[in-house]
Amino acid sequence: MKRSIIRWPGLAAFAAIVGLLVIVSWLFLDAILKVTLEYGLGRLNGAEVTIQKVEHKWSPLTLTAYDVQATDPAKPSHNQVQLEKFSADVSAAELLLGRIHIEQLDVVGVRVDQARKQGEGEVYVAPSKEDIKEWASGSWEQLKVSLPSTDEIVQQVGLQTEQILTEAETQIEQQREQFEQAKAALPTKETLQQYQQQVKAITEGKVEGLGDIAARKEKLDNVKAAIRQDKEAIQKFRQQLSESADVVKTQIARVKEAPENDINRIRNFFQLNESGLQNITGLLLGDKARQWSEYLLLAYEQLAPMLARSANTETVEKVRGEGESLSFVEDDAPPEFWIKQARTEVMIGDTAVNIDWQNITHQHDLLGQPTTYQARVDNGDLWQAFNLDGELSLLPSGIDAKQQWQLKGANVKNLGLSDSSELTAAITSALIDSDGRVLVRGNQLDGEAIIRMLDLAVTAQGSSKITNAIAQALAQLKRLDINTKVGGDILNPKLNLNSDLDQQLGKLLSQTAMAEAQTKLDDIKSELSGKVENQLGPKNQLLEDITQLNGQAESFDQQLEELLKAKIEDSLKDKLKDRLFGS
Amino acid sequence: MLTLLAKLLKALNSETSPWALAMAMVLGMILGLTPLWRVHNLIILLAALIFRVNLTLFLISFGVFSGLAYLLDPLFHEWGLAILQADSWQGIYEAIYATAAGRVSQFYHTITMGSLVFSLLISPVIAALTYFVVVNYRKHIQQTLLKLKIVQVIRGSRFWQLYMDLRG
Repeated sequence: MKRSIIRWPGLAAFAAIVGLLVIVSWLFLDAILKVTLEYGLGRLNGAEVTIQKVEHKWSPLTLTAYDVQATDPAKPSHNQVQLEKFSADVSAAELLLGRIHIEQLDVVGVRVDQARKQGEGEVYVAPSKEDIKEWASGSWEQLKVSLPSTDEIVQQVGLQTEQILTEAETQIEQQREQFEQAKAALPTKETLQQYQQQVKAITEGKVEGLGDIAARKEKLDNVKAAIRQDKEAIQKFRQQLSESADVVKTQIARVKEAPENDINRIRNFFQLNESGLQNITGLLLGDKARQWSEYLLLAYEQLAPMLARSANTETVEKVRGEGESLSFVEDDAPPEFWIKQARTEVMIGDTAVNIDWQNITHQHDLLGQPTTYQARVDNGDLWQAFNLDGELSLLPSGIDAKQQWQLKGANVKNLGLSDSSELTAAITSALIDSDGRVLVRGNQLDGEAIIRMLDLAVTAQGSSKITNAIAQALAQLKRLDINTKVGGDILNPKLNLNSDLDQQLGKLLSQTAMAEAQTKLDDIKSELSGKVENQLGPKNQLLEDITQLNGQAESFDQQLEELLKAKIEDSLKDKLKDRLFGS
Repeated sequence: MLTLLAKLLKALNSETSPWALAMAMVLGMILGLTPLWRVHNLIILLAALIFRVNLTLFLISFGVFSGLAYLLDPLFHEWGLAILQADSWQGIYEAIYATAAGRVSQFYHTITMGSLVFSLLISPVIAALTYFVVVNYRKHIQQTLLKLKIVQVIRGSRFWQLYMDLRG
């Protein structure tokens, strides 16, 4: 008998298999959801995500997860974000069409940057070294500045007084030689007297006639030529005197100033500039600022990267053999993932800050609206007023967002700033005001904030000379204004802190160093001054000689000038007239 | 394993239609090559159970092709991506994607699409090849094999006993 092509018991077997699958899924749905969520969220996060328990309810379709912890891929010992519980009301109708639409999401007990109690989490996509946030530029241990001893500074500065003395001596000696040469070429007193006698003899006495006048004139011209030569020598000598006087005066002045200049250079070496100190503000407050900014940039740091990754399959590392799910959503279709309303309770210390969200999706172009969020907490335990609002859109060009906040009268008590072996510092009490804004265009952050610390009381203790000095300086602080700049890529934000703390510390440290070095500096100065005095004595004598000789040479010059005025024609002609006409 | 092999030999040596074996091979191949947790595999399972195909060969085919699929997945991904990104088909994909059935089918998944299209394309070839092998085995190889000394040794073994028990 030919058997039928249909095997009817097979239908029963199929029904049994499907039934078994449904029952298993039904029974283990929560476990399946837990594993699926851990796996999916883990891949979006780039590191292990653990969920303690997942529960579901069919009507209305609700999913609740407890104790969700997302490991920080850059710091696996900590959770990037953790939450006590989240509960989502899912639209069943949209789920059948493959869309996850959550009418209301409630997230309770959100905390960021918390140490993982269960040890390091597994990292799936390790961030490259460049990606790891460089909030503060270094650590106290790397602080390059140190307070050197005076001897070290003297050695490094290289005192210049002695060198200047030697140079001055050489130059003054050169001038002396030139001066002596010029002096040797000068006419003597005797020569001057001879000229006077010669002129007198030529211009006075008995005139014998016109021939005699001509002869006398010739003689006078010869004498005048010799006088002019000597006058020229005197002028040269005076010029040399002037030059030598200038050089000697300059050199003496330089030598006199040399010890003071050396001391000033040593003092300058004690002045510690900002680059030498590194960024103390960053070192001291960088870690806290990073923690605060993680709360303030919660939307960008946590939500945006995850949404961006979910929107772009290329940013999630592919698992071999898993393939990709492409989206063929039409332009006018609703978003595939859409949380219409959400409330997140973010814990800052023991204070809960509720943030209300609207329209969380990664398909803002389909929704036509940005994700918006607001948080307002007035008269809280931690502050007088806090106000935050912002919006966020994931567009083909990247993330566009803006956020602004104002914080007034935040009471800070016993806030540890640094707990390294080099320096322990804590804010005992302070009143903090802050306001700022952050803009994101094409994934690039651009923002600034000011943090004003008023009524500041800091306790600090250093273990080295430099950190001890810093600690002393910190203890004197009463007010501190910190300017914060946020920049860089949204997945790798950079925080730059600036305040006048570095300058204040620089001055205080210099003063401390200078006070210690003052006695030594006084000794150095008196020693150098003594040397200068010893060497300067003869040089001053030269300057006096030069001044004296200048007077003498001027007198010679005047006398020679007088001699040059002598004219034979008039005097002798008069005498000849007297003789001829007897008048 | 021995039981499964014995059952296979039984099927080969029995009066089971060569087409029933060929269909078992093809259905097992589709189930093996495509990702398991897909709705179309329920249809394959239903077909394998409801039609009188040889379930032993179906399971063996599923096992063998699952192993092959691991090696071929990167290729399936490439092919699936190319098919899903074909410009002229975008409208159709968008229409299917908008339906619940389309979403449930996961046709938009690259490996699913690539492996399913590949399986369907080679199904006639695999079916014809299986049919050809079974027919020729029964006609030529079965008698020759029985004369081989090694086969005679096997016939005296536990495996042969098992086989004979199955034949009843």
